[in-house]
Amino acid sequence: MKLKRTVHQVFAIAKTDFLGIVRNKTAIFFTLLFPLFFLIIIGFTFGGTGTEEASRITVGIVNLDEEITDVNGTDSQNSTIGDAFVQALKDANFTVYEYGEYGDKDTIDTAAYDISRGQIEIAVVIPKNFTEALSFQYTNSTGMPIPTKARLDLYTDPSDPTGSIIAQQSVLGFISGFVKHYQKIAIKQFPSGFQDYVKVLADPITVSTSEADVSGRPLRWIDYMVPGTLGLVLLWSGLNHASMAIANERTKGTFQRMVIAPVSPITVLAGKLISSLAIVYLSAVIMLASGILIFQVNLYWNIPAIVLAIFLGALSAIGIGLIISSLAKNEEAANSIAVLISVPLQFFIGSFFPLTIMPEPAQIFGEALPFTKLVYAMQEIMTKNLPLEAVMPEIIYLAISGLILFALGIIAYRLSLKRL
Amino acid sequence: MNLSDIEVDSVTKRFEDTVAVDNVSMKVAKGELFGLLGPNGAGKSTLTKMLSGMINPTSGTIKVGGYNIKDDPMKVKESLGVVPQDIVLYDYMNARENLAFFGRLYGLSGGKLRNRIEGLLKFTQLDEKAVKRHISTYSGGMKRRVNIAAALLHEPQVMLLDEPTAGLDPKNKLALWEIIQTLHKEGKTIVLTTHMMDEAEELCNIVAIMDRGKIIALGSPRQLVKKVKMENTITVVPDKIPPKLIDAVQKISGVKSSYRAYDENEKIEALKIITERAEDILPDVVSAIAAAGTKILSVQLSRVTLEDVFILLTGRSLREEEKQL
Repeated sequence: MKLKRTVHQVFAIAKTDFLGIVRNKTAIFFTLLFPLFFLIIIGFTFGGTGTEEASRITVGIVNLDEEITDVNGTDSQNSTIGDAFVQALKDANFTVYEYGEYGDKDTIDTAAYDISRGQIEIAVVIPKNFTEALSFQYTNSTGMPIPTKARLDLYTDPSDPTGSIIAQQSVLGFISGFVKHYQKIAIKQFPSGFQDYVKVLADPITVSTSEADVSGRPLRWIDYMVPGTLGLVLLWSGLNHASMAIANERTKGTFQRMVIAPVSPITVLAGKLISSLAIVYLSAVIMLASGILIFQVNLYWNIPAIVLAIFLGALSAIGIGLIISSLAKNEEAANSIAVLISVPLQFFIGSFFPLTIMPEPAQIFGEALPFTKLVYAMQEIMTKNLPLEAVMPEIIYLAISGLILFALGIIAYRLSLKRL
Repeated sequence: MNLSDIEVDSVTKRFEDTVAVDNVSMKVAKGELFGLLGPNGAGKSTLTKMLSGMINPTSGTIKVGGYNIKDDPMKVKESLGVVPQDIVLYDYMNARENLAFFGRLYGLSGGKLRNRIEGLLKFTQLDEKAVKRHISTYSGGMKRRVNIAAALLHEPQVMLLDEPTAGLDPKNKLALWEIIQTLHKEGKTIVLTTHMMDEAEELCNIVAIMDRGKIIALGSPRQLVKKVKMENTITVVPDKIPPKLIDAVQKISGVKSSYRAYDENEKIEALKIITERAEDILPDVVSAIAAAGTKILSVQLSRVTLEDVFILLTGRSLREEEKQL
């Protein structure tokens, strides 16, 4: 009976709070639509529209795989896998420029010159032993294959860090997929007893052994940006809304009526938490749906992982909001503090611009923010289809910071009751 | 059997160095309409906040409906209906939505909640069109009525009304007085805080006058007037009131007190003289006014009010107090 009554109270508070947003045009804009406004402006300016694919990224290929190389003391000349790599890049719809094919000098210097002129955005150097290394031609004296890693060198324009990161991310995603595909084929060439051993050898190019199935999927910047905007959702819909939750009621006096009713402080907070979460999820749905409709983003939808990560991130945002709301003198002060915090923070969480383009202190600051962890986790899950376990450090970070900040929010709320 | 719905025993509330309520004790009997009278800053609001469980006393005991507020705060809150001084409603919701929300806070739901809401909507005298409009579109009087209705949803025995008519025009004020009298007739125990003497005199059986955190007088309005042994007030409206006139009148034998008073309704300044022998001293007063070189515009003899009682007890008028604050 008591539980039923508490549940009614919690949902009554949550519903009233929610109506306060959806029936207020200004609040709708700042809480729900402001992040979308940001996404559209920055998305169209930097992210590219839905019609642009990987073809927007021009990759220069310096293919040295055709050259003669020394293998076990003898000369070898085989470019099979290097050529396959180039063909796969073309198939993945990158704009590929092969120097040798057009009679240009096939060297990194030529590629670097073209990068400096903006002719290509990224150069991929395929070494001359690429095929030999990947086809297990290096052996020891007994004839057993020696693990030999093939190396791919990527070169980008240091004067264009943003463009470089987009190109690099796209090509790295492609390489991941290529490696995975290669592994499957290579392992099949060996009898089953040797496959475990070969599996080690067949991890030849990148240091990453994650199970990300990027499978050569072409990625645009907007594909990273849309999951990244979920960090903005936390700031604008979570932190901002929660910061007004108590302060607004205190200013209007309705908080007083809630306190004199037979309602426990935890019930009030539970109601506020539910309404804040509803606002966050609604805003997240609007952002993601807009990403699909406006920018035709092509993402992976691991819904349970997305819901969980947003929930944990929202705890931090709502916790900070509650602290502001409880300690601020009135609605106006709470709003000013929330804006003062959320506006600068949105540039440090990697929603729109990678943290790597920032000075080191800014990167360290950004990395410490729970919202950055959410952005990273969402980008990994939604663009690379990584499972939740792959971003477990970020999830744990979100959970711990969420619990700490929400607990501080509860303490601040209890303190605020003494100021009535 | 407990005959008191509210018992306040040696209650003190301190805010750092300030003593807002100073060792106050009082009892409010069942069905009583109890007025808590005093200027702003007298400690009325702090006392009502403690009675409603919003803040805790620094020391002392408060019981409402037989429950100790410290031990059973939820029971106390359930037995209380509080009407705050300000309109405390969600202006983006209509009257029905507001009442539904506050009803749920008090544990009402389903058919019982619906019935209470419909009953109270009749009480608010809002028509069906108004009920569907957001509160932000209501007049002051409509908001006040819904504000009271929200406190009645759970049918409380004890009601705290904090300055319920503040800011209302005379017509709406009278309408609200009727509502309060109706609630009183229904047997509810009501504590009404006000700084309007006429309101306390008109509505309350018992009045406690508070000043600087203490109850300085307690009794029915008639008892209080008798207590200070006064029967009459002479109100003289001269064309001007020089300070020497007040001094001269004060010196007349039989004058208890004289002071300058401003009538907000008439927009005139008057000289009020409190005495037990109004008719006897009236010629002396007229002479003193003539001697001060002023003309008399009107003279009125009236019975002593609670305002006069307050002045005699504190040496200050309520309006002076409010101006200082």
